[in-house]
Amino acid sequence: SRKFRSNWSQGDKDTTKEVTIIRRGHTPARWTREEVVTPPLPGHAATSSLMATPMDFKTYVDQACRAAEEFVSIYYDTMDKRRQALTRLYLDKATLIWNGNIVSGLDALNNFFDMLPSSEFQVNMLDCQPVHEQATQSQTTILVVTSGTVKFDGNKQHYFNQNFLLTAQSTPNNTVWKIASDCFRFQDWASS
Amino acid sequence: TSLPSGHTMGHSDQVVRRRARRWDMYQMRFSSVFQPVNLGMHSSSHQQQDGHAAMQGVRVESPLRYTPYAISPSHRRVSFLKQDQTHVNMEREQKPPERRVEVNRSHGTLGSWFKITIPFGIKYNEKWLLNLIQNKCSVSFNPVEFRYEKMNATFFVENASVASALKNVSGKIWDEDNEKVSIFVCPDGIPHSVQRELKSEKVEQVKLAVNHQQALDIQKLPIYSDFMTCDTKMAPNPRKGVAASLHVHEENTPKVMSSGETDKWKGTEPGEKCVDRSPVCTTFLDNSSNINSILELFPKLLCLDAQQSPGPTLCGLEAHKRLPTCKGSFFGSEMLKNLVLQFLQQYYLIYDSGDRQGLLCAYHDEACLSLSISFNPGDSALSNLFKYFKDNRNIKAVKDPDLRGQLLRHTKRDIVDFLGALPKTQHDLSSFLVDTWYQTKRMLCFSVNGVFKEVEGQSQGSVLAFTRTFIATRGSNSSLRIVNDELFLRGTSHQRTQSALFTLVPTPFSSSMPAFSQEQQKMVPS
Repeated sequence: SRKFRSNWSQGDKDTTKEVTIIRRGHTPARWTREEVVTPPLPGHAATSSLMATPMDFKTYVDQACRAAEEFVSIYYDTMDKRRQALTRLYLDKATLIWNGNIVSGLDALNNFFDMLPSSEFQVNMLDCQPVHEQATQSQTTILVVTSGTVKFDGNKQHYFNQNFLLTAQSTPNNTVWKIASDCFRFQDWASS
Repeated sequence: TSLPSGHTMGHSDQVVRRRARRWDMYQMRFSSVFQPVNLGMHSSSHQQQDGHAAMQGVRVESPLRYTPYAISPSHRRVSFLKQDQTHVNMEREQKPPERRVEVNRSHGTLGSWFKITIPFGIKYNEKWLLNLIQNKCSVSFNPVEFRYEKMNATFFVENASVASALKNVSGKIWDEDNEKVSIFVCPDGIPHSVQRELKSEKVEQVKLAVNHQQALDIQKLPIYSDFMTCDTKMAPNPRKGVAASLHVHEENTPKVMSSGETDKWKGTEPGEKCVDRSPVCTTFLDNSSNINSILELFPKLLCLDAQQSPGPTLCGLEAHKRLPTCKGSFFGSEMLKNLVLQFLQQYYLIYDSGDRQGLLCAYHDEACLSLSISFNPGDSALSNLFKYFKDNRNIKAVKDPDLRGQLLRHTKRDIVDFLGALPKTQHDLSSFLVDTWYQTKRMLCFSVNGVFKEVEGQSQGSVLAFTRTFIATRGSNSSLRIVNDELFLRGTSHQRTQSALFTLVPTPFSSSMPAFSQEQQKMVPS
């Protein structure tokens, strides 16, 4: 059920399309190109219920993995093919540490990604963990760690490591994940 | 084997005058400090090689003779933010006279002084801790100059057999949270009160020679002996001039770290800053400061731009797209740098010590840890990674939710048990590159990139590269507890790792190559 993506990504650059994925055994996830959306978080959803179901750890982990997979496929695709839309995945006050350079806030991020040459990313490794609520003051957050290769136009290919903090913005109908922080490093940064 | 009355070189106790013997002790110690330590060599064979008798009979866990460096004393539970040079001077003047008397009394022979360190000991009450240790220790010991140094508790003892007995207690005592308490012993520590007994002139001479030599040899030492920072009144320090020319990325960083003030982090164009460099932080110029020793532990942090910055006309928002200049470690503030480096030094001291149960106190009860690996074509010896395959949590490859769940270690006991089963390692702190990428009042997030060597098992001697991502909660006394830990491993290629290890900063340090990378070069097939 993922095949549609390759067709879809060749579509019109400026049109926002909504696409529904039906996956076996899951409720449909509806997402736009510039958002990472998953089903509502258990325990956060229905305001009508007085007793919110606490999320057990296993559910928390599963949901983190799902969000991470969605996120990674959208993020790098957007980075490569619709760079101008990339900052929509970031919180307003998000920060990026890019090979030791700090970029903070949406304006700076927009400038930064505008300046960065066009890219071709290949992600080979993805891992994720739910972040403990004691650290995040109960703001649902996941840690996403990736690794792979990237080729920036005019530069040689690099291996990279990257990690993100994604935070959940819950509504009764869905959960929207946004990047709170982003840390990117070439593995061989000293010879870049 | 028993230590021959606390000294070496076959001198007889009764014959040699006390002062001369002390001088010999110092000479002997200095020569051993500056031998490059061969990673992977067993510590006992290393000791026998150089005949350093002070080491004999003392079971030191780490193959490196190392202790956390002596730094300005801290009061228990006082934030390290308050420490400064003034504080140190006050401390010295306030040293109670009876301590010197104690030292003299036990001073029938100069003996060998040993510095005892309890990592993360700052959380323990002094009396309680000493009682705990004494109850388990087979000999009674007299702790001299007990103090808290950042996260450690430290004191000195004067006798090798006492030190040895204390070392044996490590890992056999538990605190009130049922966490193991580790004890580390270093034979090179000397209490301040003892130092002062020596002729000051001789001490200065020795320190001058040592400092100079140390500055040249620093790259050969993966870990830096704390003896050099025992006394704040040092001779002119060659490090001072060097430190003044170093830069740190302070230019874009907020002064106050809290979630409410993240808007103070001004957005920046990396290119714009290529000409304008902020002045170095004044703490670099502090002779006694542990910051100097921290930096020497991590020479990679001194490295700034890996490539030439473009001229002013090419910076900023011009039409041509280009990659920003890659830079070294990022911390955000001096305080955070100290905190993170201190933590990493503690963490890897225990991690490499052979008993990782000591890491329990570094983790939150409900922490998570996972491991992932990747092999890139051109890396040496994929076989070195085989042992990690079964624990590899790459969710691109692992699709079964149950397996994904199992591969995520949860709770600190599971985590520490898992880590304990991994091969024994030696991390090269000089290779560490650190990014502190997010922080609030409650949490601190940072990633460490570096290399380590496996020092046991089938792949003994193999060098692996890692990226470790930590998320930690911050306690009231600046203590950190890991809640999330992701360890990514990969092989090394000669080219890639070499470039990561070499610093390109024109300092006296860069003239000598790190011993670690020299060894590693031998291992890479040509």
